[in-house]
Amino acid sequence: MVKTGVRRFLEGAVLALLAALAIVVVVGVGFRKAGAALVWYDEVASILLAWLTYYGAALAALRRAHIGVPTLTQRLTGRARTAVVLVAESAIIAFFAAVAWAGWQVVRVLEGTTLVSLPSVPAALAQSVIPIGAVLFILAQLLSLKDALSPGDASSPEDAHSEERVPAGEGEP
Amino acid sequence: MTLLVLFVGLLLLIALGIPIAVALGIVALVAMLASGGVAMLPNAGLVLFDGATSFPLIAIPLFILAGAIMNATGISRRLIAFASALVGFIRGGLSMVGISASLFFAEISGSAVADVAALGSILIPAMKKRGYRTPFAAAVMSSSATLAVIIPPSIPMILYGVMAEASVVELFVAGIVPGVLGGLLLMFVAWLYARRHDFPVEGRFELRRVWTTAREAGWALLLPAIILGGIFSGWVTATEGAGLAVVASLVVGGLIYRELDLAHLREAMLEGGVQTAVVMLLVATSALLGDYLTEQRLPQQVAAGIMGLTESKWLILALLNVFFLVIGLFLHSAAAIILVVPIVMPLVRAAGIDPVHFGLIVTLNLGIGQQTPPVASVLVTACSVAKADIWEVSKVNLRFVAVLVAVLLLVTYVPAIPLALVNVFYH
Repeated sequence: MVKTGVRRFLEGAVLALLAALAIVVVVGVGFRKAGAALVWYDEVASILLAWLTYYGAALAALRRAHIGVPTLTQRLTGRARTAVVLVAESAIIAFFAAVAWAGWQVVRVLEGTTLVSLPSVPAALAQSVIPIGAVLFILAQLLSLKDALSPGDASSPEDAHSEERVPAGEGEP
Repeated sequence: MTLLVLFVGLLLLIALGIPIAVALGIVALVAMLASGGVAMLPNAGLVLFDGATSFPLIAIPLFILAGAIMNATGISRRLIAFASALVGFIRGGLSMVGISASLFFAEISGSAVADVAALGSILIPAMKKRGYRTPFAAAVMSSSATLAVIIPPSIPMILYGVMAEASVVELFVAGIVPGVLGGLLLMFVAWLYARRHDFPVEGRFELRRVWTTAREAGWALLLPAIILGGIFSGWVTATEGAGLAVVASLVVGGLIYRELDLAHLREAMLEGGVQTAVVMLLVATSALLGDYLTEQRLPQQVAAGIMGLTESKWLILALLNVFFLVIGLFLHSAAAIILVVPIVMPLVRAAGIDPVHFGLIVTLNLGIGQQTPPVASVLVTACSVAKADIWEVSKVNLRFVAVLVAVLLLVTYVPAIPLALVNVFYH
């Protein structure tokens, strides 16, 4: 239930950000070619890419699609495997917890400042993606923990939609 | 000493099954905390944000998006029909069609995995039905998709351009001649195999059929030419060209062909968004570690160390080739570029190697790595589409990998092959 909700939210965010990125770049080119370059276009487009990075990274975590070398852990079975997976998961979660805290400090410090090219947008809004993205990553990691513990039967009904997806780097014979 | 600890720590984390991007982040964060205490931590937040804001890298999701749209409009089918009219009459016709369609498709999509998934899912079953051996069908689609990454637009080239501070446009232009040359060589090798196994042809060559299929596929063929023309002539940047490619593909698919499959598009966009994020997270966390490595002057040390052994440009190129081939066996190409390129660039520049030339070498090298297990994303995709055994496919694929290695050697030691066009246009 929760997993479906989080997945839908992240998918919506990724679709919207990708579409927004395309629109901003295209509108930016249009205005530049018309001789009225928009000052905010590169900055906003770059920020959208950062947002796409972290919301997309959380979705990738949910799908367990980040690039890694699972060869060794796949050889393990039983308790040893569970232990290794739990150590790895804890390290990942600890990392993003630290990032969430660091990102939150940045957001607080930036209170009151705005984007260079767009004075109506607070800089903290742009930076909010780091703490929010980090928390979403942790959530996604926890929600997909079951797949990590037993990847052999990763065909839970919720993942059925991703049947045809292409292995992103974890290609293993 | 610290560097050694970092490196061992990184390998250990990766061996535990932690994604490379996160492992990089953990190591960098620990190093930061060890040297500066908790007060350093907020810096990590800033670097992780800044590391993911790069205007040139916006071209990556946009080219993926354009490819996704065009692929949701029945363009693969049109390109295959055109290629079939063009080269289907040759012995082993469908494999010729596969190779040439891969090259056309490469002008739209920048990703080899997308390429083999889109074309392979149509052509591999078709080849099986016509009596081709399954491992051959998978191998031919897999290797031609890899060759396609050096034909513009190319995601590895965009990444390399940003990491090495080289011109993405010049990299694109440098890929054209080796790409076409490699395509012809692959077709020749496929033809030899087809003749020996007596694979069928796909009808006679008819000019009329070429004409009708070309008209059907006209926009699909014309658009990339226009967009790449805009980028090559400097009218738009690579990122802007990618934005225009998105609009163009929407116009052609939605208004002219009128067959945009929205459900398919949504899936492809999500897949593209995830792919982008996976690569970008690596870029961001490696920026975190990169700051630290730059402080330690690791790249300069590597350069000085190797230059102390030899100053021969050709020997250094040979060393780097072997190094990247080995790395390509174990690492996904995007990860390899992000991790290794910034470290070897000072060496490359000190040895007097043209960064554009080197970019093509790296791209091809890592492309070959996508064909060779254990980590072989393109080969694995082809095998899963073909439902074939990786080992069986690899045996047939050896001859095609040999072609790719031959192209790599030509590109490495005859710099005119990649660089002649670049020099004509830009120097």
